[in-house]
Amino acid sequence: MQTLNNLFLIIAHFIRSLFADPQSVWANLTMDVINFIIVVVIIVLAALILILLERKVAGWTSMRTGPNRLGPRGWFQTIADALKLMGKEDVTPAGADKIIFKIAPMIIFSLPMMTLAVIPYGNHMAPIDLDLGIFYFLAVSAISTLAFLMAGWGSNNKYSLLGGMRAVAQMISYEIPLLFSLLGVIMITQSFNLGDIVKAQHTIPFIVLQPLAFVIYIIAGIAEVNRAPFDLVEADQEVVAGPFTEYTGLRWGLFFLGEYGNMTAVSALAATVFLGGWQGPFLPGWVWFWMKVGVIIFFMMWVRWTFPRIRVDHLMHLAWKVLLPLSILNIFLTGLGIFIYRLVMGG
Amino acid sequence: MFGKGLFQGLGITFKRMVGPNITEFYPEQKPVLPSRVRSSMGLQREKCICCNMCAMACPNGVIKLTGEKDEESKKRVLKSYHMDLGRCLFCGLCTEACPTKALTVTQEYENAVFEADDMKWDMIARAERKGKEG
Repeated sequence: MQTLNNLFLIIAHFIRSLFADPQSVWANLTMDVINFIIVVVIIVLAALILILLERKVAGWTSMRTGPNRLGPRGWFQTIADALKLMGKEDVTPAGADKIIFKIAPMIIFSLPMMTLAVIPYGNHMAPIDLDLGIFYFLAVSAISTLAFLMAGWGSNNKYSLLGGMRAVAQMISYEIPLLFSLLGVIMITQSFNLGDIVKAQHTIPFIVLQPLAFVIYIIAGIAEVNRAPFDLVEADQEVVAGPFTEYTGLRWGLFFLGEYGNMTAVSALAATVFLGGWQGPFLPGWVWFWMKVGVIIFFMMWVRWTFPRIRVDHLMHLAWKVLLPLSILNIFLTGLGIFIYRLVMGG
Repeated sequence: MFGKGLFQGLGITFKRMVGPNITEFYPEQKPVLPSRVRSSMGLQREKCICCNMCAMACPNGVIKLTGEKDEESKKRVLKSYHMDLGRCLFCGLCTEACPTKALTVTQEYENAVFEADDMKWDMIARAERKGKEG
């Protein structure tokens, strides 16, 4: 049990022990490269599985079975789709701003890579153990706004530009309640370090102490990753596919990878901050972590295939008139709670 | 209450998710057809008396048939029977007109073809092929 729990730590220790000095620069560099590869593999695997799961959930909610042709019960469908994407022609529109057009998907793809690197996947299993973990996570994920705008602008297409502008309006608005909802947890733990936050949830996960913050985080998180009912950025009926309209083949695939990677990252942060991360009885920590992430991702899909798209003005109203005051109220209540707790406990 | 509808919606989709799905796995599992489906034509050659009633009943002129007199039994025997399925409505008037029930509407539905000419059916050949296949 303990061995299984520390399986990856033991492997890491073994790799380090192959070097003459386990803490040398070369050992660290090797471990960093391995961590990098693991994070990339996580994103690619997540995209492969989640795209199919999304289609399955879409099918199940409408009493269908979803993809069912390729492989057992259709579970190889995404592989075929990915191969098809690789075979597509790489088209750059004539009037496009070529450099921006080509950089945008790379930035989108690199962001979940950077954010997933600070998530603790188990006890002492964060690829990079940052003291400013949450801060870094939010700062990096905010850059995706820029990438969407670059894609929208660089495509030289009215729909792309509209989608890009919508992305900016939406993601900047929802960034604020997202940030504020996490502030309550930071006030309790007195730490930005994700590992410390998970350890602080040893007795009770923060969803119990901060239910309002969790609800706000999930709503704002869904809006942050541009998923229905907040998918105005790529609203097919209005702006074709938003910033992705002019992209083909692998570049478009990168957008998709980035999108599902971002979704995984947001869910992973939710699991870490509110659901107790890798803490849990019986099973190894990393199994618990991925189970919690899976539950949140499933919930996001469930929401996506239940609700219709929200209107643009309602989107802004929800962010500024509902979520923001509620998140500030949550910070106030948390502060009050901490104050009372200290009075009672005499701290 | 505010937000009640949201939870109702989630509940409904969840029920659909865990409930049965209605997808038909068509090529692997054939659908159960209603008893009155009319989707194809079948001919029993030995029953046909070449009276030409079916051809006359047909509103679209789908059926063309020829017969010849058999010297031994002094009966008319079918020589050729062609149907242009591209124009057939499957209205069933021909089968109603048939005095010996040689021509019947059947429930085969996999009738798609690649060429327009393939829709001109030689009913005798089809009947023989079907007899061979069982």
